[in-house]
Amino acid sequence: MSQSSKRLMSRQFAEDAAEEMITSRSFWADARGRFLRNRMAVVSIFMLLGLVLFALFGHAFAAWSYEEIDWAVLGKVKTEGGPSWENGHYFGVDDLGRDLFARVVQGSQTSLMVGFVAGPLSVMLGATIGALAGYYGGKFDQMVMGLYTIWISIPYIIFFVVWQAFFGRSLTQMILVIIIVNWTAGLLIVRGQVMLLKNREFVDAARMLGMSDAAILFKHLLPNILWVIVIYTSLTIPEVIMAESLVSFLGVGIQEPNTSWGALISEGARTMTFGTLWQLAFPAAFFVIAQVSLYYIGDGLRDALDPKDR
Amino acid sequence: MLNYTLRRLLAVVPTLLLLIVVSFYLMRLAPGGPFTSERPLPPAVMQNVLERYGMDEPLHVQLWTYIKNIVCCFDFGPSFSQKDRSVNDVIAQGFPVTLTYGFWSAVFVLVCGVPLGIIAALRHNSFWDYTMTGLAIFSQIFPNFVLAPIMVLLFTLSWGLLPGGGWNGGQWQYVIMPAVALGTSYMAGVARLTRGSMLEVLNAPYIRTARAKGLPERTIILRHALKPALLPTLTYMGPVFVYMITGSVFIDIFFSTGGIGQDFIDGAYARDYSILLGLAVLYAMLTFVLTLLLDLLYAWIDPKVRSQL
Repeated sequence: MSQSSKRLMSRQFAEDAAEEMITSRSFWADARGRFLRNRMAVVSIFMLLGLVLFALFGHAFAAWSYEEIDWAVLGKVKTEGGPSWENGHYFGVDDLGRDLFARVVQGSQTSLMVGFVAGPLSVMLGATIGALAGYYGGKFDQMVMGLYTIWISIPYIIFFVVWQAFFGRSLTQMILVIIIVNWTAGLLIVRGQVMLLKNREFVDAARMLGMSDAAILFKHLLPNILWVIVIYTSLTIPEVIMAESLVSFLGVGIQEPNTSWGALISEGARTMTFGTLWQLAFPAAFFVIAQVSLYYIGDGLRDALDPKDR
Repeated sequence: MLNYTLRRLLAVVPTLLLLIVVSFYLMRLAPGGPFTSERPLPPAVMQNVLERYGMDEPLHVQLWTYIKNIVCCFDFGPSFSQKDRSVNDVIAQGFPVTLTYGFWSAVFVLVCGVPLGIIAALRHNSFWDYTMTGLAIFSQIFPNFVLAPIMVLLFTLSWGLLPGGGWNGGQWQYVIMPAVALGTSYMAGVARLTRGSMLEVLNAPYIRTARAKGLPERTIILRHALKPALLPTLTYMGPVFVYMITGSVFIDIFFSTGGIGQDFIDGAYARDYSILLGLAVLYAMLTFVLTLLLDLLYAWIDPKVRSQL
């Protein structure tokens, strides 16, 4: 017996091999490692975490509430309304003499809430419809695709206006209407993936074993397209935040005195000709930080998960 | 080709019809309307107003009249909120403005985006490449509603170079900022797309062949690589142009250009259904026509696509 085959037969080798098999890394553990090695993505996670903490606990540090008017500076906003530690307006006051710090905290709550609730939910809705359309094909698929073409050609502002006429302008209703407008998010890509995968042997095998369609979709197809859904969700969240900001900017967004980044930026942009620049700078800075970190997190996820990049 | 074009045009008709029906019912079934106000009109006056606009009839009759007028005379009906003006008047006044700076914005997107992408691909992983990537990230993070105020702050309030709003018959100083603010993010998109496809084309075997037989680099890029590399950019530009025109609501309002976006938002506030619906139909038609034109252009350029038509 040669040296190498002797080693192969040894008990030690078998134990090592077993050990290695037990600790072998799954796809997701692998991806996590790749993601954590991406420095920008990790930094961005912490930045985003900071924003979330700011939105959650910022009110505890605010000296004023977000709807209270400081009569001492009202009318003198330009000269005395700037950021200052003495009177407790760390970010200055807005045009109506309300504390901008508290308003930015409140706006962050709204915008992040919209992003992290409406974004994932609309992708889930779109992915489900896309997966069903791709899996069953035929009439259903044609119907979905027809609806898709019509839907993307309707200007979405109509939906906001009509929805608000029915249900008002609360946060919940904003989130609902954004989900409805965005149901097409992720639809095409998931549909394409499912159409590609459903003809593969392992799906045939599952069907021959007598698995139901639902079981095949959830047990065999879902794990294979999960990475697409994760990446797409990370792209949709900043998009949804931006969409909310845009409609708030146009004045069909959230109801006063509640606010959001977009609404604050819009107020700041309207008053910047008077020299009250902080009203634009602070909300815009928060908005940009959120977008930057979400961008790099999305980028890191794509690098970590997309098999094409490996 | 003609057959294909006709088929596509025919497919537009049912889609448009469905769009009209869905939007019509959506807007009419919402509570409130263009004539509800804080102090309600006396019932007799209200009756007269409704009769004047044909709104006293049942919904499906109104819908039928609406569609009939569009089909026979391209007439979108009177505006509810702007007295003595029809939707056609509103469109005729605002649309050319939006179209003008939309066009210049598209020119800006192509003229800046394509060369940027090509340079970044040719100087892969160099200073230019990183600058371009940085620019792409920057423009994704600064959407037009953040970019536009900053631009006005710099170019109007600080340096006094350009007017901060207005239209003035489309003088060039008034067009620059709307066009650039509208186009920047798409410009970065085009640059990134061109860079990607150019990199892919440059690795193709036929480019290696061209290099091997000793063609000068300029000929390789301009005659062999450019055309196939621009195909994805072309497909991207169709929807982008429509987005640029429909998404310009913000630009119209911020720069007070008097474009169609202003009417759209005013219509939304005033519940002016006829303006909203008219503009929705206009946008949809624009989308369909442009995508069709682009598909035809695509077929004209790419023989592989042409043979499938």
